[in-house]
Amino acid sequence: MSTVINSTQQAGARTPFVPTGSGLSFIGLLRSEAIKLWTLRSTYWTFSLVVAASFGIAVLMAYAMSAGLDEPATAAMGIDSTGIFVLVATAGLGLGQLIVAVLGVLSISGEYSSGMIKSTLAAVPNRLPALWAKVAVLFSFTFLVGLFSVVGSFLIAIPILGTKDLTASLFDEHVILPLLGNALFLALIAVFAVGIGTIVRSSAGGIATVLGIILLLPTVVGLFSMLVGWVADIMPFLFTMAGAEMITPSTMESWQAFLVVLAWVAVSLGAAAALLKRRDA
Amino acid sequence: MIQAQSLTKHYGSKTAVDAVDFTVQPGKVTGFLGPNGAGKSTTMRMIVGLDRPSAGSVIVNGKPYHEHKAPLREVGVLLDAKAVHTGRSAYNHLRAMAATHSIPTSRVHEVINLTGLESVAKKRVGGFSLGMGQRLGIAAALLGDPATLILDEPVNGLDPEGVQWVRKLTKQLAAEGRTVLLSSHLMSEMALTADHIIVLGRGRVIADASVADIIASAAQNTVRVRTPHTAALASLLAQADVTITNLEQDVLEINGLTVNEIGDRAAAAQISLHELTAVSASLEDAYMKLTQDEVEYRTGDTHTEAEVAR
Repeated sequence: MSTVINSTQQAGARTPFVPTGSGLSFIGLLRSEAIKLWTLRSTYWTFSLVVAASFGIAVLMAYAMSAGLDEPATAAMGIDSTGIFVLVATAGLGLGQLIVAVLGVLSISGEYSSGMIKSTLAAVPNRLPALWAKVAVLFSFTFLVGLFSVVGSFLIAIPILGTKDLTASLFDEHVILPLLGNALFLALIAVFAVGIGTIVRSSAGGIATVLGIILLLPTVVGLFSMLVGWVADIMPFLFTMAGAEMITPSTMESWQAFLVVLAWVAVSLGAAAALLKRRDA
Repeated sequence: MIQAQSLTKHYGSKTAVDAVDFTVQPGKVTGFLGPNGAGKSTTMRMIVGLDRPSAGSVIVNGKPYHEHKAPLREVGVLLDAKAVHTGRSAYNHLRAMAATHSIPTSRVHEVINLTGLESVAKKRVGGFSLGMGQRLGIAAALLGDPATLILDEPVNGLDPEGVQWVRKLTKQLAAEGRTVLLSSHLMSEMALTADHIIVLGRGRVIADASVADIIASAAQNTVRVRTPHTAALASLLAQADVTITNLEQDVLEINGLTVNEIGDRAAAAQISLHELTAVSASLEDAYMKLTQDEVEYRTGDTHTEAEVAR
């Protein structure tokens, strides 16, 4: 049997194709961003580093404290045993803060440097939902990693400090609240860094900016405050300082410090959103 | 269907796209041609909202791209091979893209098979060759089974088998009633693939017609004649509207006379001809003719360069 090419049939098939199937959804974007986060090796080693730094420094500090500690000294310092536990459990997170700041910048600057951002924005032409999904995913996982780090560090410290008959309960509000606060601030640093990365669009520039704000700014403002007295009043409003005050309030209430931290994050993300929406990809 | 209306893009003082109007019809493969810097890629980026038009508008399948509820199902786009994070595997890249529109993983496997990426799908994209990167870009464009495909130089870096595959694929997609807009610098390939051609030059549409019409516009009645008596034939045929070029010692290229006229006159003058051929224009000839004044980045004349080198 011979095959006949039917030209009229071909012409008949040329009615416009109508697409079908599921559309864009925020749940889908969250899943997409989670896939993006967990399919890069750097995510595993940065999060591992946060946990390792926290555990490692907790062990060191716990031993150091139990070695050099005697009851009258701590009493003189005004620290009770729960205070020591919180100090030990959260000491390593300072390093973790720098690591998640880098992770936050890279999560978006990596898309710009590789060109991935074009794929992302072509799929989400309204753009902002993609940014919010990235922020939500990074916030959630960084919070969990932070909580795992501090709670783990606390548990590690129990047997070591126990040799000096120091004890504390994880569910004591003076323990669990500072630990949660530390994990929360860690996650907010990551989110703040996503904003800076979006604004700067380059890994090197973004990392330099974020680390400058976290590390350098307190030092610089501190030095200025020696020359100009009123500059010292600015200190508590710096991102890093407000983050610390959130957990151990001194010049302002915890909730006030929390609002200051949120303001930093809001400015970073607000500027990022405005630029992302406006700029050519 | 893609409809552009006075679509304009300025970058600073430079105008990349200058008030272009065109319609890309469904059911056809439309070729998008133009010299480097003519504005093809910029136009494609504006269609999917990556660049914001300075003026004018472009709509895809009836709406501006960003108003669609399922953008990846409306338009599949391959902009360049480097729209992928190099640290991620091809499979995971496609999975992340699919997740945005809740496209099932089975479709990810489908496009991987379709583009022949099975053996490298789990490898990191950073190590991909240009051709593999192109295949991944095409796979991503096909992910949403879209009604419109925009492919910027899809055959760039592909092996001959891949080039042929892209040709068949685009023709098949168009036959299914989809809109296919395709750019390429390979004219012979475009002549085989496209039904319709839009030519851009310095940000303007300089031609918008079927491939046959474009080629016909460049046809010049060129006739090639091989004869041992070139001088005699040239003087015989010389007249105001005829140009005669001596290509080789015994070959003339003649514009302005038909094959019949030349053959009859030569016979009457008893000049023997060893070859008499009508040279038909190719898409490449037509393209070169259309864009000869529009080339932004022209290469130096090889003749003068050789002299300078000497």
